[in-house]
Amino acid sequence: MFTIRCPYCGERDQSEFSNGGEAHVARPKDPEQISDREWSEYVFIRANPKGIYYERWVHTHGCKKWFNAVRNTSTDEILKVYKMGETPPPLKEFKNTIKTPSGEPDVGSGNFSVKKP
Amino acid sequence: MTESKIYFKFDGKKYAGNEGDTIAAALLRNNVRLIGRSFKYHRPRGIYTCGIEEPNALVQIINEHNEPNVRATVKKIYEGMIVKSQNRWPSLKTDLGSINNILSPIFSAGFYYKTFMGPKGFWKNVYEPLIRRTAGLGKPPKEFKSKSIHQHHNVEVIIVGGGLSGLLAARKFAGTNYDVLLVEREDALGGVLKNADKIKSINDQPTDEWLEKTERLIRNSNNIKTLKNTLVTTYNFSDHLIALEDKNVGKPQDNEKPELVLHKIRTNHTILANGHIERFITFRNNDLPGVMLAASFEKYLNRYGVVPDESPVVFTNNSSTYSLLKSLTDLGHKPKAYIDIRDQKNIEKETVELLEKFSIPFYPKSEIEGCEGQKEVKKVSIRTKKNQITKIKTSMLCVSGGFNPDIHLFTQSKGLLKWDKDHLTFKPDRIFQKTITLGSVSGNFSYEKLLVEVEKKLSEFEGLNELEVKFELNGPEKFQIKELWETKHEKKSLWSKSFIDLQNDVTTKDLRQAVNEGFNRIEHLKRFTTNSMGTDQGKISSINALGIVSKILKKDISEVGTTTYRPPYSPVNFSAIAGRSTYEFYDPERKTPLHSWHVKQNAVFENVGQWKRPWYFKKSEDETMHQSVQREAEQVRKTAGILDGSTLGKIEIKGKDALTFVNLMYTNSFTKMKPKTGRYALMLGEDGMVKDDGIVCKINDQHFIVTTTTGNAASVLAHMEEYAQTEWPNLNVYMNSITEQFATFNLSGPKSRVIMSRVFNDIDFSNDQFPFMSFDNFKYLDTEIRILRASFTGELGYEIYVPPSHALKLWQKFFIYSRDFDLVPYGTETMHLLRAEKGYIIVGQDTDGTVTPIDLHLNWMIGKKKKDFIGKRSLTRSDIVRENRKQLVGLVPIDKTLGIEEGQHVIEHKDLSLPIKDPVDMLGHVTSSYFSPNLNHSVAMALIRSGKRKIGSRLFVSTENLNTIAVEVVEPNFIDPKNERMML
Repeated sequence: MFTIRCPYCGERDQSEFSNGGEAHVARPKDPEQISDREWSEYVFIRANPKGIYYERWVHTHGCKKWFNAVRNTSTDEILKVYKMGETPPPLKEFKNTIKTPSGEPDVGSGNFSVKKP
Repeated sequence: MTESKIYFKFDGKKYAGNEGDTIAAALLRNNVRLIGRSFKYHRPRGIYTCGIEEPNALVQIINEHNEPNVRATVKKIYEGMIVKSQNRWPSLKTDLGSINNILSPIFSAGFYYKTFMGPKGFWKNVYEPLIRRTAGLGKPPKEFKSKSIHQHHNVEVIIVGGGLSGLLAARKFAGTNYDVLLVEREDALGGVLKNADKIKSINDQPTDEWLEKTERLIRNSNNIKTLKNTLVTTYNFSDHLIALEDKNVGKPQDNEKPELVLHKIRTNHTILANGHIERFITFRNNDLPGVMLAASFEKYLNRYGVVPDESPVVFTNNSSTYSLLKSLTDLGHKPKAYIDIRDQKNIEKETVELLEKFSIPFYPKSEIEGCEGQKEVKKVSIRTKKNQITKIKTSMLCVSGGFNPDIHLFTQSKGLLKWDKDHLTFKPDRIFQKTITLGSVSGNFSYEKLLVEVEKKLSEFEGLNELEVKFELNGPEKFQIKELWETKHEKKSLWSKSFIDLQNDVTTKDLRQAVNEGFNRIEHLKRFTTNSMGTDQGKISSINALGIVSKILKKDISEVGTTTYRPPYSPVNFSAIAGRSTYEFYDPERKTPLHSWHVKQNAVFENVGQWKRPWYFKKSEDETMHQSVQREAEQVRKTAGILDGSTLGKIEIKGKDALTFVNLMYTNSFTKMKPKTGRYALMLGEDGMVKDDGIVCKINDQHFIVTTTTGNAASVLAHMEEYAQTEWPNLNVYMNSITEQFATFNLSGPKSRVIMSRVFNDIDFSNDQFPFMSFDNFKYLDTEIRILRASFTGELGYEIYVPPSHALKLWQKFFIYSRDFDLVPYGTETMHLLRAEKGYIIVGQDTDGTVTPIDLHLNWMIGKKKKDFIGKRSLTRSDIVRENRKQLVGLVPIDKTLGIEEGQHVIEHKDLSLPIKDPVDMLGHVTSSYFSPNLNHSVAMALIRSGKRKIGSRLFVSTENLNTIAVEVVEPNFIDPKNERMML
């Protein structure tokens, strides 16, 4: 239900976009030269953190352009949006953001509505 | 005062109400107290509240498509409205289901989970139908065509609630540069100012006058938009709110205009001023008709001018009931008794003075122990301060157990709560979004402090108006309360119950039992007992439940915590959520330029994605599908047939690096391919699995046109775009969908060359000039068409690409020029049959995302010399080169008269043993199966383990009635294995 600032079109509703999974997973330059394991890690394995996540989005119902975003997966806060090919912002840039709504643990959900004493 | 009367029916009887009355107000006006029967025990239930929090008075509106579970306390009456009570049989007064009340010991918490365990089949055939008949609320509505719409808003500030706090905030914003939306759920602004007589005057004017002035000020300011009859149901992340507006308040449904509007609101700041909800106190038989919340009683007096009862008993644990006493005595009525659990010395002097002045019987430090009565309250039982039981005759009992800030929306926004020891309730603590809470929702129950709060909390906004407001109050300023969640039972009988959730019939005994059984976490306890899981979400009772549970667990209430509040705040009609996306607007229908022709030729259509495609053409009324398909398929191989292939996806690829790009996207090699030729090509995912197939046509190295399967047109283009933009942005390549720029005809059959030469008499279709898989553009009338020689049937065939405007005429021309050949139009089913005879795959039918080109024996399509293409590396992964993968084979029944069913299992042995004890080893399954009219027996394709090695052997296929039929495993190519027919 959040909005995303498309670097080409501006702020739009999330429903116009599709998520493309983890960003900056480069396709191996020479696939024939790497092991089955390395290749399958590229094809199948993606990070799934609770917290800061670098991911790809595409403005499907808009300009159809792909871009990168940095999102806090526990709050859905989009911290930064940048174009394909641009240098990703360093992680330390986002250290000051709120981690989770109610200070719940780093792993797992936390539907806490009352502040823990 | 002469007011026009409005007549409506409740359970068949006609009643009169006033304009603006809710169903509940009108029924109370007519002294009707019994409204419905309860969910589980079928106990008589009445009107408990005067608003959205109502747990009991749910009714069915017969003349509005049988709309169920409508709150009688919210829905306004109109002339001719037909209302029915719910969950009773045969009638409201004598409900046979109330036997459940006596059987209640077996209906305790977790009853369903524990009882309906077996025997097998009983749930579906016995228990469920029985439960569905006796438990539950209203009956499902009738189907109707909703006219509800969605509306979007983008504002700077939304004010939720048009009560006193909301209006003060609106006054601050009136006429400023802020774009403000004010949302009020009732049909009038004012909130508590209209419900109760707590404020004598504002700025020395009567409150009504101040309200009118404020409303005028808001109306005249051009920056505030007001929505009335609109309930904010949802407060999502990123300041997104959803509100439901009822457009038909006090009116019958309009056939032209939308009845509901779902507002989707984006805002920068959310001001929650949505007030509070009164809670009840649990005592014996606290559910009887005649028990009502005190502030609701007061609302009936002040807002609707209805006196539900002239001499009720009042039971309270707090100071708010003073204004009820005052309102009643001002009207000349005298409450029968006033029962307060507080010590006399703690009760505010205003109340005591009033009680003395009107000599109302006063019971300080006392409590209601229970109520007596069969269909409604007849007597109340009081435990006095000396611990003695006194009974008083009365027909109504007003209860106040304190107030809860209406924190539902605040917690939806992920704000955090904390326990307020003074007011004994949860109140907002830390905000998570840009939320401001004002008034009682923030836990501020003082009018004096309200002004300070508004000024302070709105100080972050610049250029707001100064507020000049002075209140003169009726009664005590300070809100005082003493903790009381339930009172002790005196009498133990099956009829006596203390309810904690009125709608779901949960008693305090159920809570105790659940804790005893180990459900000591509030979220588990809620699910086990179904406490606060009704349509009212326990609005008047959930905090009481927490209070009782904290006492049982001997824990602090803030340690027990609340359950999670989830949207929506109150039920939202599905018709509002659907909006205009219903019936023909649910999903667009795509029709080919030849659609009208197909309709005239009695085509039966099939949905392929959003497309309507002819499935088969009925030659006569009584021709069955099987007959049509067999006739069409036979005719194609005999003379010729023509298929509307316009739905095929077409993508144009251009750019300096188009060749490199196409080489990367598809498995085949296109480098040495000559211009103006096409090639059947496979597209893989990076995992090596077949994603799509189609024909790649090369115009030159910088210009390609590719076709995709009908259903994958959009996803293939998206897949190409993704790689072009993200992996290989250095490649100069552009893609565009041209699916709808061309209609496509697939002409197929031994006579197709003759027909083509007749239709296009200036083109040479000889094998030398127009070999297989070549194409060219030709001038046709005032336009250009493209003809490709290709085949998906194994017959000589041509594909004609023509602009849609010329499509119908050209299509008809084919039939005119081929009368002597009986050219047959054929549909998708025949196309599937014909290709199956040739063993050609359909992506998505013979493949399912786990099938590689090697599994399909399509190794010849893999450009092995190419350095790279998507999925290439995966084709050498150990799992992909494994020998015993499922591979495509053909199946032919040994007994040629038998048919093979699609989706059936392929097994090694004839016998199907008992499945559970000795599972049959499944080799794979049948992906396609057709009866071939040209071979006169069934042909099937299947994906089976080590299929390649099994060719020539005999296997078995299961059938619907658990038999097996013997089949021979063959190469998947049944007709013309040397492909001589299409090279003709």
